[in-house]
Amino acid sequence: MNRSTTLAEELAVRGITRREFLKFCTIMAGVLALPVDRAARIARALETVRRPPVIWLHFQECTGCTESLLRANRPTVAELVLDVLSLNYLETIMAPAGHAAEKSLHDTIQEGGYITIVEGSIPTADDGIYCCIAGRTALDILKEVAANTAAIITVGACAFYGGWPSTPPNPTGAKGVKDIISGVPIVNLSGCPPNVDNITATVVHYLTFNELPALDDLGRPLFAHGRRIHDNCERRGHFDAGEFVEAWGDEGHRNGWCLYRMGCKGPVAFMNCPSIRWNEGTSWPVGAGHGCIACGAPNFWEMPAYEPVPIHVLTPPTTYPEVEPVKEMSPITAGVIGAAVGVAAGVAGAVAVSQIAKKEE
Amino acid sequence: MAQKIVIDPITRIEGHLRIEARIEDGRVAEAWASGTMFRGLEIILKGRDPREAWLMAQRI
Repeated sequence: MNRSTTLAEELAVRGITRREFLKFCTIMAGVLALPVDRAARIARALETVRRPPVIWLHFQECTGCTESLLRANRPTVAELVLDVLSLNYLETIMAPAGHAAEKSLHDTIQEGGYITIVEGSIPTADDGIYCCIAGRTALDILKEVAANTAAIITVGACAFYGGWPSTPPNPTGAKGVKDIISGVPIVNLSGCPPNVDNITATVVHYLTFNELPALDDLGRPLFAHGRRIHDNCERRGHFDAGEFVEAWGDEGHRNGWCLYRMGCKGPVAFMNCPSIRWNEGTSWPVGAGHGCIACGAPNFWEMPAYEPVPIHVLTPPTTYPEVEPVKEMSPITAGVIGAAVGVAAGVAGAVAVSQIAKKEE
Repeated sequence: MAQKIVIDPITRIEGHLRIEARIEDGRVAEAWASGTMFRGLEIILKGRDPREAWLMAQRI
């Protein structure tokens, strides 16, 4: 793709219908939690945008985040949008190697105005020798690239806070980008790995509105990290009913009951996995029968994966609001029925709670 | 005449790799491959709950 062409021109060349393109824009508006009418604005912006150059740095990583990116589940258009980015430097897929690869990096840095995507943590112990590329440390490279960049997007838990390399005793002094770089806009696409739809949506937001999406206090996009997994989980009904998996493969597990007692971290995890899902939208970890490990949270490796997480504030209510439509009736009748419903709900709630308490004993 | 070639980074692979080769009369006489990144998973896994080992090891 030529840097001077727009996405609209590329779509025409590649035979992608306008209908397909608008569908993609609408899905992106959905992922970004924007009103549907913003899809038109996204479409207009993407049609005219020129390619911003991108440097994608790999440090202490497993390439799982790149793999996640390569799994774009709406390939025809999503690939193109990511193609709109001029990936001037991405070791995993770039054709040049050695000096030729480093030349692309240096030329892009000199040009300036690029977006930097960082994958992997940065080792700081022993002068940073635990990750070297072309004879230079990750620490040196990051500082040089950050000095001239427009913005940094960290992908994955490692670039966010240090990830598993930083798990105690943190042998290499691994750190996240936000612990090293300041004075540059940073958006943290946490998750181990982050979902490609969230990566794409962040890029789309940047291209459409020319700014990074709204962030939470950890620098993570609110559209992806604003909601608790537990509150949007398809197994939540089983939690509220006190139906828990007690052992792998037991009746509850086979019936898709709540995984809380198997260590699910859904109650303390803020991600949009239950709604956008994984693998072309087919499933997600809890859907597949394993608890969430809260991979978007900082220091999540320090929470024991198979021990229940404390959730005192999140236990189900003892009573539920009335769900039957209220018919017109005399105030006295209403009062009597209301009291009876209240008692019945109270009893049902008490039974549910006593069942949970029993199972916990 | 001996000549030394260094290719770093090797691209289109997963991970970090450096190759050095000593060339003599147009042929590779000696070659060295180095993994240039270390995280210390073996050290991190020591003393942890064994049920979690696969979660970390799959992310190597």
